[in-house]
Amino acid sequence: MADLRVVGRSHPRVDGLEKVTGAARFSPDVKFPRMIVGKILRSPHPHAKILHIDASRALRLPGIKAVVTAEDTPKAKVNSAASTYYFEERGAKNVAPTPMVMDQTVFCGDVARFVGDEVAAVAAVDEETALEALSLIKVDYELLPPVFDPLKAMEPGTPLVHEAERNIAYKFVIRRGDIEKGFAEAHVIHEDTYTTQLQHQAYLGPTACVADADGSGRVMIWTELQSPFRARRLLSDMLGLPASKVRIFQTHVGGAFGGKHFKRVQPICALLALKARRPVRLCLTREEEFMSSPPRHATHIRLKMGASRDGTLVAKETYIVLNSGAYGEVGPIILDTMTKRVDSLYRFTNIKTDSFLVYTNTVPGGAFRGFGNPPMDFALESHMDMLAEKLGMDPVELRLKNARRVGEVSAHGWEVKSCALTECIEKAAEAIRWKEKRAKQKLAGGKPRGVGIGCMIHVSGCRYYPGFYGSNAVVSVGDHGQVYLFSGESELGQGCKTVMAQIVAEELGICLEDVVVPDLDTDFSPHSLGAYADRTTHIGGNATRLAAIDAREQLFEFAAEMLEADPGDLVAQDRKIFPKGSPQRAVSFLEVAKRSWFHTGGKEIVGRGSWDPPSVPPDPETQYGNVSSAYTFGAQIAEVEVDPKTGKVTILNFAAAHDVGKAINPMAVEGQLEGALVQGAGYGLMEDMVGIDGRIYNPNFLNYRLPTILDISPMKIMMVESNDPVGPYGAKGVAEPALVATAPALANAIYHAVGVRITNLPVTPQKILAALKDKERREKRRSE
Amino acid sequence: MRRPKKRTARGRTVLDGTQGPRRIKLTINGEDLDLAFKSPRTLLEVLRDDLNLTGTKQGCDGGECGACTVLIEDEPRLACLTLAATLHGKKVLTIEGLAKDGNLHPLQRAFLAKGAVQCGYCTPGVILSAKALLDRNPTPTEEEVKKALAGNLCRCTGYKKIIDAVLEAGREFESLIR
Repeated sequence: MADLRVVGRSHPRVDGLEKVTGAARFSPDVKFPRMIVGKILRSPHPHAKILHIDASRALRLPGIKAVVTAEDTPKAKVNSAASTYYFEERGAKNVAPTPMVMDQTVFCGDVARFVGDEVAAVAAVDEETALEALSLIKVDYELLPPVFDPLKAMEPGTPLVHEAERNIAYKFVIRRGDIEKGFAEAHVIHEDTYTTQLQHQAYLGPTACVADADGSGRVMIWTELQSPFRARRLLSDMLGLPASKVRIFQTHVGGAFGGKHFKRVQPICALLALKARRPVRLCLTREEEFMSSPPRHATHIRLKMGASRDGTLVAKETYIVLNSGAYGEVGPIILDTMTKRVDSLYRFTNIKTDSFLVYTNTVPGGAFRGFGNPPMDFALESHMDMLAEKLGMDPVELRLKNARRVGEVSAHGWEVKSCALTECIEKAAEAIRWKEKRAKQKLAGGKPRGVGIGCMIHVSGCRYYPGFYGSNAVVSVGDHGQVYLFSGESELGQGCKTVMAQIVAEELGICLEDVVVPDLDTDFSPHSLGAYADRTTHIGGNATRLAAIDAREQLFEFAAEMLEADPGDLVAQDRKIFPKGSPQRAVSFLEVAKRSWFHTGGKEIVGRGSWDPPSVPPDPETQYGNVSSAYTFGAQIAEVEVDPKTGKVTILNFAAAHDVGKAINPMAVEGQLEGALVQGAGYGLMEDMVGIDGRIYNPNFLNYRLPTILDISPMKIMMVESNDPVGPYGAKGVAEPALVATAPALANAIYHAVGVRITNLPVTPQKILAALKDKERREKRRSE
Repeated sequence: MRRPKKRTARGRTVLDGTQGPRRIKLTINGEDLDLAFKSPRTLLEVLRDDLNLTGTKQGCDGGECGACTVLIEDEPRLACLTLAATLHGKKVLTIEGLAKDGNLHPLQRAFLAKGAVQCGYCTPGVILSAKALLDRNPTPTEEEVKKALAGNLCRCTGYKKIIDAVLEAGREFESLIR
């Protein structure tokens, strides 16, 4: 693919101009005449029966236009990640290897299960009136005993959050090889327990929704979504409307990171609009975002691993408890990820894993960049360094020894068709000068320094069920040679519009500025599953490429007529179409476009592309199956300085080498990797939603600390192109991977610097100080 | 949870909405405006709700994220913490007023060219903070850029390309001055 002209180049983003001029319209910016304001009443209790809701006083308030409660909604339970079609279309329940937990309705209904659970909502002429109306709704609660700790929730006799035995919403039991034999062969064994915290997506743009009902009972919704078609189906389920009555317009998305798939905001806003018969805007406050929008789950991981004398990993035994919070959400598939993904990073053969998704009366967890992979990778990669120490081996050597290689099939049946893990490890080590820095811990002004590595594996789309798991695209050619790309993929800021436009321009031999990518509208845009599991470029890109090729073939039919040539013999390049080897005989792209529009026998050129990845769902019994059509790999090395007096960690350097398959837009890929690194550093060192007795105590940016520009370090980003045989031009997903290995790289660097192993995230100065004091005491005792 | 409350916290000084409409004159993006509003309103509310200048973003409503940064008398200020009534006679610049006659400001060009924009929600605030810096110091060091943008959160980019863009725009500034 040496002759690529648009793909593989760092074009500025196609939706950039409106973003730098303030013209880009995000969901909180949508406005209509007669629009009123919605607000949600949330449960102040972690667990309570709702006996009665009296809204009569609120309804008497001047300016109030609607009050909605559970009584206004269908009772069928859904799941924000699945909706009923997930089962219905496949004829039976539990056909999926990882069935979803159907436990949610629009409002919480009879029982409130966490502080923030949606109880009712109002719409009024302005925000003040809406807030006053909320205070006038009288809810009779009967307090129920709550449970907050997932380990306690699993004990017999603990109060139940849902009708699930021992509060277990879902579980996996995985056995591969012979675990006893593995441990028997081990020269060293290490065992430890890791815990990780709630991390919020903390997108800067709050979730908002504007809904309006037209005269025919159709609901129109302007909002920010990662998977608008799933949202359409869910809205129809939750509102009891046929899908034809729901239309979703995607606005610009103010960041998502997994947190904007679907929320109760959208159905509640639609209900208010239907009842008030006016456009309603519902925008979450930052506090509401923190208390009710599913963050990354808190986890508890017990890990035991063995290695033979030469460093070969011979056994891995894992016990995982994922705190689901009050609802299942996407918990089962996040648990699936935690349970299986890291097992394909190294060449594990003997595996035993028991994992549990457990309900508690806390904020429900959900999808967040990395999707269960970051907490498990933190445990695994911390563990790798401890094993290396016990073996007297360099951590990099231990990883190289066990690294996954191209052509292999992992213990879970994952077929690795492209893999540059070894190269990534070597490149990162070289960039940071690993050997030199590992050998001597530099004391800069008395402050110890250290380097630590983390490796990772991820997917490019991850199939959990049979059937269509792909993407569709339509490419049409306009009367002035302008080309429209209709894609079902969601632009979240990650740059997919730009990447898709590059693919179209490449295949049609035109310039990037000739391609228009309209905003997604569920009435017009072709169906795609949505932006998650790093599937957009890999899967959506393939569909887009096929659509562009289809359009090109139609263009060639017209061009062949004009040139009196064989359509199979034509090429498109530089806005021209000509027979191969004869550019002087060219007709312009514009002329061909005009012919298709205006001439007798013309027809609008509409190219269609559909691509379903050649992945297979895991077997429901054995959980075996090649779930993704491409796997991504990467290695990150952090260099840190730790102040032993304060415990403060300063990141001095990052070297991150990632196997991206092929960078369709290198600048955008770099942007993804840099952004993920900083989010990963936030996860590793500072971000922590403090929940006590089911309440979040830091629901704002003042107390929930995001990395600022002052917290960043130099980042050496290396893109390794393994040219995946399935991905478009060889591309794999890149947005999620770079966050996965950051926290363990930091924890390992801190261990290298000061010799304390922190096993619970985030690694705060307080924890480091406490561990240092502990270490000092132990050493003192030993010397006495 | 956000409880309904009288807007006394915001209007603590003089305005509690009972004094009748207030009139103030100010300049927004070069346009002289004569505004009247009854209840005490923040600049953010006036910009977004009354004037439809939605380029100024609301990210937290508590002065924590910097998304609503505008320039008041050339200084970066948080519109969500600024009472509109205090701006009589003042000059306000929002992101909508930055490009002149359809020509992008060097910062806007640099943000595009360097890939400093992803979701774009923080972008207006970041660009205006950076403009205030470059206006008084067209050749900042990386540390000076970091200090000037310390109050603007960005969740997408990891900040590196933002720094690159500001330094690039500064170089262009400098060559224009020369």
